[in-house]
Amino acid sequence: MPLLEINNLVTAFHTPAGRVPAVDGVSLSIERGKTLGLVGESGCGKSVTAMSILRLVAAPGVIEAGEILLRDATGAAVNLVTLAEPRLREVRGGRIGMIFQEPMTSLNPVFTIGDQIAEAVLLHRDVSRAEARGRALEMLELVRIADPKRRLDEYPHQLSGGMRQRVVIAMALACEPDLIIADEPTTALDVTIQAQILDLLADLRQRLGTAILLITHDLGVVAETCDDVAVMYAGRIVEQAPAATIFARPRHPYTIGLLAARPERGGHAGRKAGERATGRLRTIPGMVPAPQNFPAGCRFHPRCAFARLPECAGAMPELREVATGHFVRCPYADALGEPRRLDEPREQIA
Amino acid sequence: MTQPLIEVADLQTHFPVRKGLLRRVVGAVRAVDGVSFSIEKGRTLGLVGESGCGKTTVGRSLLRLVEPTGGSVRFDGRDVRAAGGAELRGLRRRMQIVFQDPYGSLNPRMKVRSILEEGLIIHRLGTAAERLERMTRALARTGLTAAALDRYPHEFSGGQRQRIAIARAIVIEPDFLVLDEPISALDVSIQAQVVNLLVELREQLGLTYLFISHDLSVVEYVSDDVAVMYLGRIVERAPAARLYAEPLHPYTLALFSAVPSVEPDRRRRRIVLTGDVPSPARPPAGCRFHPRCPLAEQVCRQTEPPATVVDGHAVHCHVAAREVERAGGDAAAAAARMAELMPVGGAAAPAAT
Repeated sequence: MPLLEINNLVTAFHTPAGRVPAVDGVSLSIERGKTLGLVGESGCGKSVTAMSILRLVAAPGVIEAGEILLRDATGAAVNLVTLAEPRLREVRGGRIGMIFQEPMTSLNPVFTIGDQIAEAVLLHRDVSRAEARGRALEMLELVRIADPKRRLDEYPHQLSGGMRQRVVIAMALACEPDLIIADEPTTALDVTIQAQILDLLADLRQRLGTAILLITHDLGVVAETCDDVAVMYAGRIVEQAPAATIFARPRHPYTIGLLAARPERGGHAGRKAGERATGRLRTIPGMVPAPQNFPAGCRFHPRCAFARLPECAGAMPELREVATGHFVRCPYADALGEPRRLDEPREQIA
Repeated sequence: MTQPLIEVADLQTHFPVRKGLLRRVVGAVRAVDGVSFSIEKGRTLGLVGESGCGKTTVGRSLLRLVEPTGGSVRFDGRDVRAAGGAELRGLRRRMQIVFQDPYGSLNPRMKVRSILEEGLIIHRLGTAAERLERMTRALARTGLTAAALDRYPHEFSGGQRQRIAIARAIVIEPDFLVLDEPISALDVSIQAQVVNLLVELREQLGLTYLFISHDLSVVEYVSDDVAVMYLGRIVERAPAARLYAEPLHPYTLALFSAVPSVEPDRRRRRIVLTGDVPSPARPPAGCRFHPRCPLAEQVCRQTEPPATVVDGHAVHCHVAAREVERAGGDAAAAAARMAELMPVGGAAAPAAT
C-alpha cells in the first residue's frame, strides 16, 4: 500500500481569461521510505501538484477533481482533498513536511532559528517549551549544523544560504513526518552546497525512513537521489519509471529530447587542446505551451521529432505500461527509446 | 599566436564598505582581486565559479559598467581604464554584454524597435533606413522576424527575450561579447537553442566571447579555454579539454565532482566540500581556498600560491605545484595524483562554522 496515492488530480485556475488547467489528470504514488522525483520545466504543473497535496493552492486555483490518499502505518487512508481544515493542519508540518526553493520564504526573519523549529514541534506535539527547544537542538545536530547551541539563538540573516536550507530541513523533519515534499530544494544553492544538501537528504532518508517527493527541473539531481521518476509536460505525466530505467532508456520523445539537449561533460574526450566541440546541441524546437492553449491531442506533438500526423493531433494518448513499471504516454513508445535512437541524425530533432 | 583582443592584468575591483554617521570607508569587498587573462580574437574564454566568486564583476569591469580599482584592461591594444568620453564610447560599440535575466534586462515600456535602435542612435550608425536594415538583419540572425520590432518584451517567451537581448548586443556589430549567465534563467529545452545560436553567431560574425556561467557542461561545450574563479581570483586556467580531463586544483576537482550527473558511472566519486565560501570582505590569508581544502597544509595558510604553468595549463596551488614537479612536468600524471589525494564522500562532514 503506497504511503501517498494521487488519483486523477485536476487543479485549475479560474482567471478572467478563462479556466487554466495547470494540473490535468495526474496520478502518482509514493511508497514509504522512497524518493519520487517529479521533473518538468516551468509551467508544467509540478509545483501546483505539490501545493495541491497540502491544499495550499492559492485562489483562483481550485482542486476540481481527483483524490489524494495519505495512509498511516495501519493502512488506513484519509483523502486530503476532502479532509476538514482543522485535521488538514495536523497533516501540514505534522505528517507531511515541506521544503521550498528559497529558504527565506519559509523562515521568519524576526524570530530565532530555535524558536521557529520549536514552534513547529509545539504545534504538533504535546510537549513543554523546554522539551520543544531540546528537540530543536537535536534537529540542528541532525542536519549537521556546527555549533548548534549557539545557532539556536541566531536569526536567519546570520546564516548562509546553505545553512538556512539546513534549518528548513530541520523544521520539516522536526515532527518526524512520513513524507517530505521538497520543491526545488537546491536550485537556489551553489553546486558545492547543493552536493552537501543532497548528501544530507539521502543520509536522513536512510536513517529516518522518510519518503520524499522531490520536485526539480534538474535531471542530474533526480538521477542521483531518486528511486522513481515522473516526467510532467503541460499538466500531465508523460513518462514514469524507476530512475535507473528512465535514464538508461527514456521512451517518451520529450524525455529523450530533454536528456539529449544537455551537453555531455567530458563529451570531447578525444578533442585536443585548442580544438572546438563539433556539431550542435540537440534541441527541442519551439517552446513550452501555456496552459491557456495546450495543443489538442498529444500536448507535445507540435515539438515532437517523431510526431505522426494526423494521429498525434487527434486523441490524447493514454499512459500505458511499456515494460514492467515503465509508463509512457506515447503510442509509439515501443519503437522509440532504443538506446541507439539518441544518436540518430540530428536534423530529425534540430 | 595572434595579438590578444582583450588583455586583463591584475584586475582589481573593490567595493567600499561604509559605516557610521560619516559613512567612512571601513573596509572593502574585494570582489575581483588580482585577475589576469587574455583572449585572442575569435576565441572564447569560459569563466566558471560559484556565486560571489567575482565572475560577474569581472565581466562588468571589462566594460567599465563598474569601475575597476586597480590593474589594467586593454582592448585591441587600447587602455580601457584610461579611456574617456568619445574614446570610451567608441570602445563600447565594440564590446557588448548579454545579461542573465531577459526579464530584467529589457525595458518593458520600450518596443523591441526602440530597444535595438537605441545603440545605433547613440553610436550614430546609419540613416533611419540603414538602421532598420541593420535591426532586421540582427533579428534574423537570432531567429526572429522584423515583426518583432513593433512588439513589447512581455509578448515574448523567455527564450525569445534572450534572443532579443542578443540581437541588441550584435546590432551595432561589436567584436567582443560578455555573456553573463546567458542561459541560466531559461528552461532546459530552451537552453540548447540559445547555446547553438551563440555558437553560430561566433562563427558567422567572428565574435570573441567571455562566457560567464556556473554551468560546467555548457562552459566546456562553448569555450576554447576555461578559467575557474574562487573568491576574487582565478585558481586554475587551461584549454577546455585539458581542464576537464586533467583538473589540478582541489577546488576544480570538488566543483566538477559536485555536479549531479545522469551518467551512473560518474556519480560515485563525489568530493563534498565542507563549509561555505568565506566573505570577500575578509578573504583568508595564504591560499584563499585553504579553509575548505581537504589537502591544506601549513604553507597554504601562510603563503599565497603562485601560478604553476605546464603546457598552457596554469594552477595556483602549493600541493598541485609539488605534484607537477614530482611528475616531472607531466600534467596528466599530476592530475591523476591530485584526484587520488582528494577524499571521496563526506556523509560525516559537518556544516560550516
